[in-house]
Amino acid sequence: MKRRSLRARMMLLSALATLAALGLAGWTMTGVIARVVTGGVDQRLDAQLAVLASVVRDDGSVDRARLAARQGSLAAGPGWRWRIAGPRGTIGSPDFPTLRTPFPGHAGAEAPPPPLPPAPLDGEDAKGRVHARQLVLASEAGPVTLTASAPARVIGQPIRDALVPLATAIVVLALIFALAAWVQLRFALRPLAALVAQIGAIRRGERATVDEDQPAELQPLAAELNALAAANAATLAAARQSAANLAHALKTPVATLALTLAPDSPAAAQLRRIEGVIRHTLARARAVAVNRRASTDIAPIAADVARVIGTLHPTITTRLAIPPDLRVAIDAHDLAEILGNLLENAARHARTATLVTADTESPERIRVTIDDDGPGIPAERREQVLQPGVRLDEGPSGDGFGLAIVRDLLALYGGQMALGDSPLGGLRVLLHCPSGR
Amino acid sequence: MRILLVEDDADLGPAIARALRAEHCAVDLAADGIDAQHLGETEAYDAAVLDLGLPSRTGAEILTAWRAGGRTLPVLVLTAREAWADKVAAFKAGADDYLTKPFRVEELMMRLRALVRRAAGHAQTRIVCGPLAFESHTGQFELDGLPLKLTAFEWRVLSQLILRREVVIERLELLERVYEGDADVDSNSLEVIIGRLRRKIGAERIETVRGRGYRLTCGEQPA
Repeated sequence: MKRRSLRARMMLLSALATLAALGLAGWTMTGVIARVVTGGVDQRLDAQLAVLASVVRDDGSVDRARLAARQGSLAAGPGWRWRIAGPRGTIGSPDFPTLRTPFPGHAGAEAPPPPLPPAPLDGEDAKGRVHARQLVLASEAGPVTLTASAPARVIGQPIRDALVPLATAIVVLALIFALAAWVQLRFALRPLAALVAQIGAIRRGERATVDEDQPAELQPLAAELNALAAANAATLAAARQSAANLAHALKTPVATLALTLAPDSPAAAQLRRIEGVIRHTLARARAVAVNRRASTDIAPIAADVARVIGTLHPTITTRLAIPPDLRVAIDAHDLAEILGNLLENAARHARTATLVTADTESPERIRVTIDDDGPGIPAERREQVLQPGVRLDEGPSGDGFGLAIVRDLLALYGGQMALGDSPLGGLRVLLHCPSGR
Repeated sequence: MRILLVEDDADLGPAIARALRAEHCAVDLAADGIDAQHLGETEAYDAAVLDLGLPSRTGAEILTAWRAGGRTLPVLVLTAREAWADKVAAFKAGADDYLTKPFRVEELMMRLRALVRRAAGHAQTRIVCGPLAFESHTGQFELDGLPLKLTAFEWRVLSQLILRREVVIERLELLERVYEGDADVDSNSLEVIIGRLRRKIGAERIETVRGRGYRLTCGEQPA
């Protein structure tokens, strides 16, 4: 039961209740039908008893002439029988059925004094069960017992005939109830499905909280989920911070070691591996905390970065062509990382100039280009320079590593990066960034 | 070349200082933010190497204070923080260059020499003065196209002179830029160094301006 779905549990409960209700209804209706049919047969038997009573004289004898005259009104169908049993003998239908004594005292010494009103009496004959009525008259000679019987099937058949449509109706009703319960459940569970979708969105980083405007039963769940999500985010931030702190704390001792080791020694090579791990850990720690709902104005960040590049590379002219208030859904810190790495790369390879442009590509996309007038990268090598760490150990600043970092960082925000030819003659880095609202 | 090195790590600071001295630099090491700021405000340095995370005062605060006080010495920020956002903030505070730990000594030296050269107003890395040439990129001197071997003190004096060739450099300033802050300076030692340099590159190259200081002359002098 525990592992079954909520819907199955509720459907099972509803099915049990429906079955019980319909069973009760069926049982009651069958009883009513049986009473009505039996009542009809009893009336006919009582009418026959009245005919029989009219041919019994006061002294207990039977007026045979009268009996013969009225015999036609006694039912003669198969299984219909009658009998008059008195102190002067018994007459009646041949093969009269054996009847059970209605109550022990009826035919014995303890029998209540006649006359007795008509009473039901059941029994059997050669062809099956019968239903009878018995009337006891008082005569001068003693009690005269009048009995009329009918085959049980004249009661059973109409009941069976009525039960078929009744049962059909009950089954149809059960199906309608089941369908109604299922639709109701679907409707009632719909907010739950919506909540599940929102939790999925939180996991994918598309939203930070679930909607707390929920039906009363789900509201506490939504509030608890939000508290959980907040606690989770705090744990993530703490984990990111401690990973960053660890990597950060390693930098100074690694720098000290690097100064004391001969650059060509095997130990120095191992140290460079450690440096690689530190950079990787820091990049990954940063990736954990990506905030996709950020909205950052490109122009001021690009201007800040360009100023730094201008100081570091005084012989290179950096031009910015970025319209004001063009926003991307990238955290300011990460946008500085992306533009900084790319512009630094461009300035390092440029002969005289670099250029940064940005424009709206579509309502969801901002296009950013970073161009330089350097040698560029041949098309067949472009894929290779995007491999992280491929050129990590070459060049003083981990030349080329920056491109892979930028591509991975941008991908975390749902953006893409491509390399191409610049109109300035060198490399063009083309970014497709998510638009910030 | 006299460098102010600001680094609070008890191992890394002395290690960098050793490496810089091996490249002929005079180095004053400050491990505390307040000391560092004071040294930068009162002493004459060719450049400063500044860590950002320091006790009692952050590197950015020191840098901002120096710039606000009109100190124009070139500053290279040497930090473990590699984020561009930190880099942007350091340059806004007035940094001239930025290097992240771990780093290579050659890289640090190359950048420091470039900073000092640019601060002296030279766009080219190779500075020529008559038969004498200074490859500021590597710190090598050449005389008539041949490498010139110099001691640390000789190198410090000659690099000061060639970066401001044809300009008189005050004797006191030269002393300041050649000796470390805690050095026991013998007033005659500078004359001794100048004398040795004159023997190596030619006596007429270094001119003594009475009562003022020294000047490196580049023009063809009569023998």
